Amino acid sequence: MQARERGGKSPTPLSGVVLAEREAPGFKAGDQVRVLDRNPIGHYRVPRYIRGKRGVVEAVIPTPELDNEQEGFGRNAGMKRHYYRIAFAMSELWSKYKGSPSDGLRIEVFETWLERV
Amino acid sequence: MSESGAIVARLPNDRGGFLGEPIRRIEHELAPWEKRCHALADVLDYHKIINTEEKRRGVEALGSDIIGKLSYYERWIVAFTNLLFEKQLLTPEEFARKMDEVASRSAPQDES
Amino acid sequence: MQHTEHDTADSHRAISAGPPGYYEVMETAIRELLIEKRMIEAAEIRRQIEVLDSRTPALGAKVVARAWVDPEFRVRLLADGRSACEELGISFYDDTKLIVLENTPKVHNLIVCTLCSCYPRPVLGLPPDWYKLAPYRARAVVEPRAVLAEFGTVIPDDVEIRVSDSTATVRYLVLPMRPAGTERYSEEDLAALVTRDTMIGVVAVAIDAGRTPK
Repeated sequence: MQARERGGKSPTPLSGVVLAEREAPGFKAGDQVRVLDRNPIGHYRVPRYIRGKRGVVEAVIPTPELDNEQEGFGRNAGMKRHYYRIAFAMSELWSKYKGSPSDGLRIEVFETWLERV
Repeated sequence: MSESGAIVARLPNDRGGFLGEPIRRIEHELAPWEKRCHALADVLDYHKIINTEEKRRGVEALGSDIIGKLSYYERWIVAFTNLLFEKQLLTPEEFARKMDEVASRSAPQDES
Repeated sequence: MQHTEHDTADSHRAISAGPPGYYEVMETAIRELLIEKRMIEAAEIRRQIEVLDSRTPALGAKVVARAWVDPEFRVRLLADGRSACEELGISFYDDTKLIVLENTPKVHNLIVCTLCSCYPRPVLGLPPDWYKLAPYRARAVVEPRAVLAEFGTVIPDDVEIRVSDSTATVRYLVLPMRPAGTERYSEEDLAALVTRDTMIGVVAVAIDAGRTPK
């Protein structure tokens, strides 16, 4: 079994366990995503420079968390979902980017701000 | 979006991508009150009286004029005051009375 | 829309010799009111000041030095930055997570918080003013090479620059490359080379670095 080959670190997940809605991450590493071009006012944590931009999920941040935009208005508990570390090419973010074509940006984005491409 | 709509839809702190300003390599040793202010923020967050995200939103809500005129911890303490009013944990009158009381402790005494 | 931030006001107003300024009075007033209302305790503030005073770049430097000398620690550090720091007794009192970003000959990492001042405080202490002010926050994500050049750091074009912008619960720490010529250094000597700015990513580790906090 794979777990034993790795020194017995992680057991195989049991079958038959049903996750609550949205408990499982909606995206996985490698998924192509786009940040929504949505325009709230008052408080947001998705900077304008990534809105509408295409990137790739580099990693799922393992622990589900609260929506920090709602936390800003005092919501200290409630439905938790995942954040994702998204990789963007600098050339995707900035039409006149002057550095190396391989330069990139990484940023955490909450699940409700992402759509699959 | 209208020009004024564009101002409202971009928070004053959302600066990513703005070019032109040189980076001034400024640092300073925190004054004791600034350190107390930072400790206060952490303690308020521990208790969820004002969580860290509320603090950020409170600073944003000061608006770009005040943000531009106040230093980092000055913005925090004003934001905390506003947030405490908003949450009805403090009233403006209580605050104003306390401000006078604290200020009078260091006011020069009249010679009589 | 531009606004200027009172960077010099920060240093001048904060450390004035005279009676407390308006905002210092406000801090005292708010703190005392909250204590009177029994929402917080004076001891909690005192304790948190001690916590903050104990968190300095020296902690981050020890983490980096350990990763340089202990390959298995390095693997654990890159897999879960917070857990590895906790192995060294560095607690994460603010509920944040830590991703440690490894510099390699092919990738140079830089950290920023464009929206505010998110910074790995439990392991580095408080950030310098320049990190919190608009010019660094604005330009690090759009012209990182020019920003690095302002710090005296030139990264060749065949090395990828990766800028991480903190917006949520993850904080970042750059794991700089160990300089050549340090093969005989003790872990303590290595830690002495690692300055705060190397862990932000604006400079690389230099052998002639002193013990100053920068």
